[in-house]
Amino acid sequence: MATLEVKDLHVAVTDDETKKQKEILTGVNLEMHSGEIHAIMGPNGTGKSTLSQTIMGQPGYEVTQGDILLDGTSILDMPVDERARRGLFLAMQYPAEIQGVTNAEFLRAAINARRAKDDQISVMDFIKKLDKNLKLLDMSESMTERYLNEGFSGGEKKRNEILQLLMIEPTFAILDEIDSGLDIDALKVVAKGVNSMRGDNFGSLIITHYQRLLNYIVPDTVHVMMGGRIVKTGGPDLAKQLEKEGYAGLRDELGLDIKLVDDEN
Amino acid sequence: MDKTAAKEQLTAAATAHGEPAALVARRQAAFDHFAASRMPKMARFNFSDWDLFAKQPALTFTESTATPDLPEIKEEAIRLVQVGQTTVDVHLPKTWADQGVKLMDLFAALDQFPDLVADQLMAIVKPDENKLTAYHLAYLNSGVFLYVPKGVQVDQPVEVDLVQDSTVADREFNAHLLIVTEPGSSVSVLQHTTTLGTAANRASLMVEIDARRGSHVNFSSLDELGDQTLTYFKRRANIGRDAKVEWAVGLMNGGDTVGDMDSELTGEGGEGDSKLIAVTTGDQHVGINNRVTHHGQHTTGNINQRGVLLGKSHLVFNGIGEIIHGAHDANAEQQNRVLMMSPDCRGDANPILLIDENDVIAGHAASVGPVNPVQMNYLMSRGIPRPVAEHMVIRGFLSSVIAAIPAKRVREELIAILERKLTDGNL
Ligand SMILES: Nc1ncnc2c1ncn2[C@@H]1O[C@H](COP(=O)(O)OP(=O)(O)OP(=O)(O)O)[C@@H](O)[C@H]1O
Ligand SMILES: [Mg+2]
Repeated sequence: MATLEVKDLHVAVTDDETKKQKEILTGVNLEMHSGEIHAIMGPNGTGKSTLSQTIMGQPGYEVTQGDILLDGTSILDMPVDERARRGLFLAMQYPAEIQGVTNAEFLRAAINARRAKDDQISVMDFIKKLDKNLKLLDMSESMTERYLNEGFSGGEKKRNEILQLLMIEPTFAILDEIDSGLDIDALKVVAKGVNSMRGDNFGSLIITHYQRLLNYIVPDTVHVMMGGRIVKTGGPDLAKQLEKEGYAGLRDELGLDIKLVDDEN
Repeated sequence: MDKTAAKEQLTAAATAHGEPAALVARRQAAFDHFAASRMPKMARFNFSDWDLFAKQPALTFTESTATPDLPEIKEEAIRLVQVGQTTVDVHLPKTWADQGVKLMDLFAALDQFPDLVADQLMAIVKPDENKLTAYHLAYLNSGVFLYVPKGVQVDQPVEVDLVQDSTVADREFNAHLLIVTEPGSSVSVLQHTTTLGTAANRASLMVEIDARRGSHVNFSSLDELGDQTLTYFKRRANIGRDAKVEWAVGLMNGGDTVGDMDSELTGEGGEGDSKLIAVTTGDQHVGINNRVTHHGQHTTGNINQRGVLLGKSHLVFNGIGEIIHGAHDANAEQQNRVLMMSPDCRGDANPILLIDENDVIAGHAASVGPVNPVQMNYLMSRGIPRPVAEHMVIRGFLSSVIAAIPAKRVREELIAILERKLTDGNL
């Protein structure tokens, strides 16, 4: 069983123009194990994406306090590629387009990056695995010979992120708003993909604004984030409660002094 | 230079070579021009002090004994191999020979088919254009002639392997590939230039293509001359009415190189597509003019140049789209892009549009900079280590040109050279 721990995490970003540091995460605590699906919900601008980017090790996020541990080892000093090879995966909100690199070539390189030099995936095994996952995600084979994300529609890009997830088989996958911009059929397909990964060796952290996704991918744990930290943790019912009452209700219930984006002045 | 002695040597050597009096006379005229004129200039690239000819030049023909490693050849393949001044292999299947296709040593062609060759040689690139073109004709010592008769569609690629013999020093490599395609014919040519040996020598390489009415030439070149070779090249196509010439050049030379690519759209409706990639390493200097000139109406020109710079190298791409007055409805597109892979390299992508007509379309794009960090980050976030990701992004960046080479074997060879250069350049 693998463990991902976020301990008292404080993260700051520097504004490009003013050069001022701004603290976004104000002490996040989170522990998850493989075999579990966690969901994070929270109002706009509260730091959910900041948390996912920081776990993955994307540039631009400065950890000012706290730690992130994978199986007990701090990963803060590891570059993004090493974190990925250790089993972390972040489905991107805006995947990059790369001309001249085919999707298939990219997938193979990503798989092989996690394997030993003398144990690279064979062409046959790769194609078999690819075919299986394409079918599962209802994707056309031609998508794999196209250049990586180039000219893909928004929904196709998201589907392609899930294809990568299925091909790379990470230990922990962070899915940041994977449901945004998806039509209902695509949403089901994406959920099917994630669910197919469920098992003892896979854990996922799902960030969403909509309870609907959680009907398809039922989480074990739901966290609510506000003001840069997790303020409440519960079961799937917590998501349903939020859907009904909104964040203001929960804030007031918890007696928090946090300003929400759409509060009146 | 002792001009009198040089001219006497030239005359004696050409005569001893058994050349027709007319050619000897053209060489002499070219020599006079060479001796009297100055080096040509290139925008943003200075090569005026390059030793592109000897202090006391001499016309020499030397039999090469060096033998290159040649890949096995298939029965149906069309191939000519030259090592230095020696044609070591000509393979032209009978079906093509019977249809009048000619692939042969240039001097043999001058001898056997003077009507086809004599007036055509350096009719498109004129010897009196500049010092280097004059030098080329005066001291031309090897060449290949390819002729495709009217209406003949050559569906096998014609492979031309030019091997510079640098097993010894002081060997001039002044080689000329002359291609004539008659109306309605088509052919694709794969040129491969390499160097055998490590002596420091120069090369003056030219390609002339006369693509006559409605003919179609696909010309790719994999240039892989040695680190010690100083190269000047000029490749020019005269593109006739409704004719089309597509260039795909993989410039992988190890030494300093200056070159011109020229597509002259002389006929109405002609099309020129000029793609070139270059990878520069170490302290190499490479400057390229890639020009498409629209003379005819309804002509289409496209330039796509892509370069990758490593180490302390210096690479200049000038893209020149020229529309001459009267070339109505011409379409001139170009892009010139360079990727700078080290802080010490110097790159320049310079679009030049010279337009003297109103109802035309012209567009250009240029970029100079490092690999896109967003792309790099995306690949790395999937576990791909930085060097592998860099290779992938670079290959992708070059892919539009690599994909234009019609032979898979050559594409793979080019990618292998590219990978080797990137690895040697510590990427
Ligand atoms: N690079 C950055 N520079 C400046 N501010 C940033 C940067 N990254 C994030 N922020 C700010 O940090 C706050 C949290 O942003 P984040 O994207 O993490 O929120 P979120 O919870 O994912 O919101 P949403 O639900 O809208 O996606 C926002 O106020 C945002 O503007
Ligand atoms: Mg977000």
